[in-house]
Amino acid sequence: MLFRPWAFALVVRPTHHSDDRTAGQTGGERRPLHERDPGLVEDSGSAADAAETGTTVVGVTTEDAAVLAADQRASVGGGRFVTNKDTRKVEQIHPTAAAALSGTVGHLQQFVRVLRSESRLYADRRGDPPSLTALSTLAGGVLRSSPLAVSPLLGGVDEERGPAVFTLDGGGGVLTDDYAAGGSGMQLAYGVLEQDYEPDLAPSEARQVAARAVGSASERDTASGNGVTVATVTREGVETDEYDAVEEVA
Amino acid sequence: MQGTDQQAYDRGTTIFSPDGRLYQVEYAREAVGQGAPVVGVRGEDSVVLAAHAPDRSPLAADGDTEKVSGVDDHVAVAGAGHAADTRQLVDLARRRAQQERVRYGERVPVDELATAVADHLQEYTQSGGARPYGTALLVAGHDGTPGLVEIDPSGATRSWRADAVGSGASDAIERFEDGYGPALGDGDALALVLDGLDAAVGELDAADVDATLVTSTGTERVGEDRLRAAHESAS
Repeated sequence: MLFRPWAFALVVRPTHHSDDRTAGQTGGERRPLHERDPGLVEDSGSAADAAETGTTVVGVTTEDAAVLAADQRASVGGGRFVTNKDTRKVEQIHPTAAAALSGTVGHLQQFVRVLRSESRLYADRRGDPPSLTALSTLAGGVLRSSPLAVSPLLGGVDEERGPAVFTLDGGGGVLTDDYAAGGSGMQLAYGVLEQDYEPDLAPSEARQVAARAVGSASERDTASGNGVTVATVTREGVETDEYDAVEEVA
Repeated sequence: MQGTDQQAYDRGTTIFSPDGRLYQVEYAREAVGQGAPVVGVRGEDSVVLAAHAPDRSPLAADGDTEKVSGVDDHVAVAGAGHAADTRQLVDLARRRAQQERVRYGERVPVDELATAVADHLQEYTQSGGARPYGTALLVAGHDGTPGLVEIDPSGATRSWRADAVGSGASDAIERFEDGYGPALGDGDALALVLDGLDAAVGELDAADVDATLVTSTGTERVGEDRLRAAHESAS
């Protein structure tokens, strides 16, 4: 009888071939990275000695710009000991958006990496980077589906909304406001913002108000201090400056 | 009898013929050979990738069809063969590029990216029940140095100074073999790439070309005016 190899060829698919092939690697679903690979935003278990930012973060909108500011201290034990005096807590995550972050240092660094990559993947796939609505919803989704101990402020500018600031929380809540503060020095920062914020601030005034709010918190909150990072987001992009003292901010 | 026997070996991807061939993979290469051509030239500090994308009908509504796809800041990919197969591989490359950013905080090296895509293609030559991808890709990137890599349906990769896949590829390659010289600048590489594409399709119209220039500063789609000027200077 004739040997018929095709009789064997059509039998069984190898097991590795089924699920991860169709749902994972190729699949028709163009999902965000963190949904395909939840390991990206999982917690490896919170180490007791993990550095935290404590932190004071502030976001302010003006007519043409969103301004984000943060202090530069990392600490352990809720500000009992300063582990780093030059921590960068305001990071660009999108061509016209940045995040000011408080929480566990390792978590917020991973959060930034994931959001940057998600924005870039979105832009590669669709031709344009995500809108602020899409970006903030995505960021909220990451936080809601992961145990990352991060509570960021997002600030950015897009066609639809103009300049905007969002507060995000660990439960994935996304709220937008003209100005906002977060982190362990939040109450002190809000004191300054409630006094000094006005809707028609010039960009340089907004930068000074944001820096003063961070500076005021740095005076009394032991988990905040060591200088100020200020990012100004306009339609042209994100410009980040670092200052040793609040008075230097212009 | 002989005919029946030979036919048998092309029923499954995973079956070698007695003379050591995988017919399904070879048929996939045939599909590539029928696809619209894609050509690439590596210059001294840049790579140009160009694809032929003529409007098939005046009724076509998506006018500006993307044939060369951007991957992260520093890579462009184009494929000849089944467009839908290419699309899946482009998305794979885009995801892989961003995974590198998350894992290592760096841009994925061009060779590494090409190998990752090729590994995926290779799986389809070894597991049953699926067909191989009917597309060949050119991956052009700059990761410190310019690189141009071809990936074929078997999952093989190879780096080239100039290369072509798709219909008319051998004519384009012949043109490259004659015209390639060391230390090509951006403009020379662009002119040569169009020359090759012209050889592949015959009577090339610059309006039907989608080209991307990759340099150390990133990827940049080449506008029609520049294409026209480069093409005229070449011919």
